[in-house]
Amino acid sequence: MAAAIKTRSIEAFGGGERGQAGAAPERTEIAIRGVGHTYRPARGRPVKALETISLEVKEREFVALLGPSGCGKSTLLYLIGGFLPVEEGKILIDGQPVAGPGPDRGIVFQHFALFPWKTVLKNVVYGLEKKGVAREERVRRAREFIDLVGLSGFEDSYPSQLSGGMKQRAAIARTLAIDPAILLMDEPFGSLDAQTRSLMQSELLRIWQRSRKTVVFVTHDVQEAVYLAERIVVMSARPGRVKEILSVGLDRNDPGLLRSRPFAEMVDHVWSLVRSEAIRAERGGGT
Amino acid sequence: MARISEGLSFERPHPAASLLEALCLIGRAFRGSLSILAVLLFWEAFARSGWVSSFLLPSFSSVVERMAGDTLSGALFANLGPTLYRTFLGFLVAGCAGVGLGILMARNAVVRWFFDPVVSVAFPMPKIAFLPIFMLWFGLYDFSKISMVVFNAIFPVITAAMAATEGVEKELLWSAESLGASRRRLLWEIVLPAALPQIMTGLQVALPVAMIVTVVTEMLMGGPGLGGAMIAASRFADSPGVFADILEIAIAGFLLVKGMALLRRRLLAWHQEAKEPTTV
Repeated sequence: MAAAIKTRSIEAFGGGERGQAGAAPERTEIAIRGVGHTYRPARGRPVKALETISLEVKEREFVALLGPSGCGKSTLLYLIGGFLPVEEGKILIDGQPVAGPGPDRGIVFQHFALFPWKTVLKNVVYGLEKKGVAREERVRRAREFIDLVGLSGFEDSYPSQLSGGMKQRAAIARTLAIDPAILLMDEPFGSLDAQTRSLMQSELLRIWQRSRKTVVFVTHDVQEAVYLAERIVVMSARPGRVKEILSVGLDRNDPGLLRSRPFAEMVDHVWSLVRSEAIRAERGGGT
Repeated sequence: MARISEGLSFERPHPAASLLEALCLIGRAFRGSLSILAVLLFWEAFARSGWVSSFLLPSFSSVVERMAGDTLSGALFANLGPTLYRTFLGFLVAGCAGVGLGILMARNAVVRWFFDPVVSVAFPMPKIAFLPIFMLWFGLYDFSKISMVVFNAIFPVITAAMAATEGVEKELLWSAESLGASRRRLLWEIVLPAALPQIMTGLQVALPVAMIVTVVTEMLMGGPGLGGAMIAASRFADSPGVFADILEIAIAGFLLVKGMALLRRRLLAWHQEAKEPTTV
């Protein structure tokens, strides 16, 4: 349904200036230095979610944060997004410390977080409106991105009328439309069925290869991480630390990739790293 | 959709069949009100049977006759006007103040600390008991009646608005902020629409409360209004008048609640529930 990629949408991403991968020397887009985070629930003891995380993400890189449930990978993403205050350590975006959420970092949530009272078109238009794009131009651009994610014809549907996969497409269109330099994705395909998930994964790759944004992708699915990411950050069970950082280096345009030996070996290797952490998390988590 | 209507125009049913179909359709439409029709018929038959005097139970037809007379003479509107005015004004004030206070309580710890216990105590209390005090302080006219309506109708709105605001998913707020919404705009652009379904539920509870309290205050304080007219009729031992006023109150209340349900469907067309049939 979304196979036809409209070439005209490419320029809408700012493909002209930022689209050429590797043209400029690779710049550090996100620098995370010794970041920790402690949740303080209203009742009960504070929980240490993250401990001394240090990580650098290059411009236009696709990085996956992989780890068992509750290892703080989403927390790290929220810290980068500016939704939670950075209390320990530093997070720099383009050299500037994070101070609250902003349209330079778009986010896609597991449960879509579409505005249910707005149609798909109005959802996508919302961010463009905030950016001060002129009325006709924002509708035109919104339609382009809806087309890009394969939702043409559903512009006037409300989120409650869409399937899970379609909702996530709409959410992705909404985030891409404001052209953020960084795309933060919090288990975006986690609540989709297996078939929709694998479709959406290749769609995301397609979109990313065209738009070339810096992507930080949180997942607990090893296959997904190996398939999508250039680098995988394996995190330990709570409190989350960086256990290992792996470069994937597989050719993701190879249609037989998922069945190839290097892919299977990589998945095996990553899984062996995650497995012990998952067991630790399962048994009551770390400390 | 277009295909379905084309299909309909193709097969024209036989005239007799279509008449039967129309009768069935009317039957189905009125199926919900058949029980009311039965009660009215029973009332009429019982009143005419001669087992009770027409003073104890005037026949339904005589009550309808009185209602028609009230309508033609303008007495109905002279009483309905003040009742609706008090109901609506009280409801409006309770609605606005209740939504405002509820949202504030959900978002501000100090406001919540102060009002939460007060609301918890006052919500289940029969606030109509304050009527003598309101009469003493505010007199017998519109101001004391409408204050009483506000006082009674505001609590379901406050609790609904507070719960609704607390229930707004943080992901919605985060999404809006990351799309470039300022914190100030969040309240209007995200919190209020996201909380609207539950706020509407609170308002739907508050509207009949407003109507009931209006009628009760009118009954106890007198003056123009359906409640006052009903008590006046009873003082003159005018039982068709009493029954006519009761029916008028019932119809007005039913129409108000129905109108509110329609408004909800309109405002929440985007909501899941809009696809389901309403019962109210």
